[in-house]
Amino acid sequence: MSGATNREAVFPTRQSLGLMKTKLKGAQTGHDLLKRKSEALTKRFREITRRIDEAKRKMGRVMQIAAFSLAEVTYAVGGDIGYQVQESAKSARFRLRTKQENVSGVFLPAFESYTTDGNNDFGLTGLGKGGQQVQRCRETYARAVETLVELASLQTAFVILDEVIKVVNRRVNAIEHVIIPRTENTIKYINSELDELDREEFFRLKKVQGKKQRDTAKQDAEMKARREKAEKAGKAEDDKENSGGGDILGEQDDTDVIF
Amino acid sequence: MEGLLFNVNNGYIEGVVRGYRNGLLTGNNYNNLIQCETIDDLKLQLGPAYGDFLASLPPNPSTSTLAAKTTDKLISEFRYVRANAVGSLAKFMDYLTYGYMIDNVALLITGTLHERDTRELLERCHPLGWFETMPVLCVATNIEELYNSVLIETPLAPYFKGSLSHQDLDELNIEIVRNTLYKNYLEDFHSFVNNDSEMAGTPTAEVMTEILEFEADRRAINITLNSFGTELSKTERKKLYPSFGRLYPEGSFMLSRADDIEGVRLAVEGVNDYKTYFDQAGMGQSSTGAGNMSGGVGGDGKSLEDLFYQKEMEISKGAFTRQFTFAIVYAWVKLREQEIRNITWIAECIAQNQKERIGNYISVF
Amino acid sequence: MAAPASAYKDRQFLAVIGDEDSVTGLLLAGIGHVTQPPDSQKNFLVVDSKTDNAAIEEAFERFTSERKDIGILLINQHIAERIRHRVDTYTSAFPALLEIPSKDHPYDPEKDSVLRRVRRLFGE
Repeated sequence: MSGATNREAVFPTRQSLGLMKTKLKGAQTGHDLLKRKSEALTKRFREITRRIDEAKRKMGRVMQIAAFSLAEVTYAVGGDIGYQVQESAKSARFRLRTKQENVSGVFLPAFESYTTDGNNDFGLTGLGKGGQQVQRCRETYARAVETLVELASLQTAFVILDEVIKVVNRRVNAIEHVIIPRTENTIKYINSELDELDREEFFRLKKVQGKKQRDTAKQDAEMKARREKAEKAGKAEDDKENSGGGDILGEQDDTDVIF
Repeated sequence: MEGLLFNVNNGYIEGVVRGYRNGLLTGNNYNNLIQCETIDDLKLQLGPAYGDFLASLPPNPSTSTLAAKTTDKLISEFRYVRANAVGSLAKFMDYLTYGYMIDNVALLITGTLHERDTRELLERCHPLGWFETMPVLCVATNIEELYNSVLIETPLAPYFKGSLSHQDLDELNIEIVRNTLYKNYLEDFHSFVNNDSEMAGTPTAEVMTEILEFEADRRAINITLNSFGTELSKTERKKLYPSFGRLYPEGSFMLSRADDIEGVRLAVEGVNDYKTYFDQAGMGQSSTGAGNMSGGVGGDGKSLEDLFYQKEMEISKGAFTRQFTFAIVYAWVKLREQEIRNITWIAECIAQNQKERIGNYISVF
Repeated sequence: MAAPASAYKDRQFLAVIGDEDSVTGLLLAGIGHVTQPPDSQKNFLVVDSKTDNAAIEEAFERFTSERKDIGILLINQHIAERIRHRVDTYTSAFPALLEIPSKDHPYDPEKDSVLRRVRRLFGE
């Protein structure tokens, strides 16, 4: 029997056949659903990867502009403000908030940036000179960071979706290539076992019937022989032994015929 | 009259500085520089002017190392001149370094406030503002010690005394400290050039007064403009204005009351130069009221700061038309600084592929 | 599958490992945050030629695993290059790891760990 190893260990009964059929049906429905989910996610995933690609390039430009505005600051201030900026950083003005987006049952977190008010660590940087450039630079960088945050959202979505799609595809494949063939094999196995049983039963019946027929034929022949004998005897002593007619009802040897 | 004895002590220096001035890059040089495609090209173009100082640079150096090397040349020249200077000129040159010293001390204060290892900061200090006792300041672990050592060890003591206490260092924003010091410094410098026996009444006093007045006005205007929208109050702001300059006293007073750019514009109305700058920079008209914040990027209009730099360069250039004056040393340092800024700017533009703004440098020769 | 909400709801800061200019710029944008003393921790690290790789790795470790309040970690690409093995093996969703260009090192998509994954996935 083919695939004998790839089936579930069940007794080939009609009940388990029913169970297997339900299971197959369930697996097929599940497969369809998961496949559709995977397709939806993949679509989303491709869209995200495309946007990541774009966003990364955009980031390249934006960061360049931002770096350039810092160069302007260096030019205007005529010195290095790096250390001072590093030391006067106290509390983040630019913060993140996370929210969720539901894509086919997968929660994708997205970052959102917001600025806290009244929190200005660098308000006086470049007071003597270059202050305007510093302000401009801050704005440019703030915009750049927004782009970065956007990109980070995409990238997180990418990482999570990647993971989810892998899991879903694994399931789809498992159902398609393992569970469904296995169930089908089991059904086939049960069917063939049941058929085999049927055939055996049929053969047995045939055998029984054949025997019965042989037996009946034999009895018939005996009966016939006896009757002929009786007739012969009857003819000889016609009126004397008329009582033999009582045997005609065949109460002695007539068995039921079973089909 | 001053010409009679000037050359006895200072003639050599004047000659050297004039020589240095001729070594500054000209418009022609700049035209060559902005044609460069890579930093290496730029380095090559700078070869004649900077020679040895750029020789040790690796191929395609970063702009900051390039700037550092070009500054090195200024430093070494300045030190040479300083070593040869005597009398009032030596003192004059010391005064010149105080401005940088203020920046360095501000840096050290920041470091001490945040309990950083201030020794690391020493290499970040501007070499022109380096003074021998500076490493001593690094020993200080808290702000009070630092304050005392600044008073004892540095020439900046008079600028601290009277206007800043050690609590102030702790509480005030470092920018306010820095600008307070700078204001005191400018005032002191101003009175020095006008009262020193060797300088009073000489062209030095004349030229330096012009330069310093301009510097004072520029700071006052900038501080006012930059303080809008910050926690700096008007009374505190007023304390940062130097008490001389072409805007002083009426203009300064009006500046101290200004609430917006329009107010600043009204305050400087009295001085024709500044008024023109405001008009050129497109500031003050209500339509482009916030123009200095949002505009500028990509625009070819010069910002107010650019115009101030331009003016500073012109004054400095003008200083060389006078003879027998120390002011040319000051002017030379400023011109050279601007040149370094220009080179850095051009290098940045090349390195970052922003060629369209490369022409934003300021050249007066 | 999706990370539980607790994994990111407190993540409200950005962190940065970068060269001085990048860090300065980003700090100007206002992302800098120093936690309250006594154990004040900065959310940025300035890397220069003197910083050794161990220090970078340590900061990387601190921002990615130890601190739970960081949502995005920005790292200069040329610095990521120095600890490439760590960056490439980093797969968590939080904090998101972004490689950013720096002034002297323009952005190279070929080196980006995420973009390389994208490429691999689409067999390019």
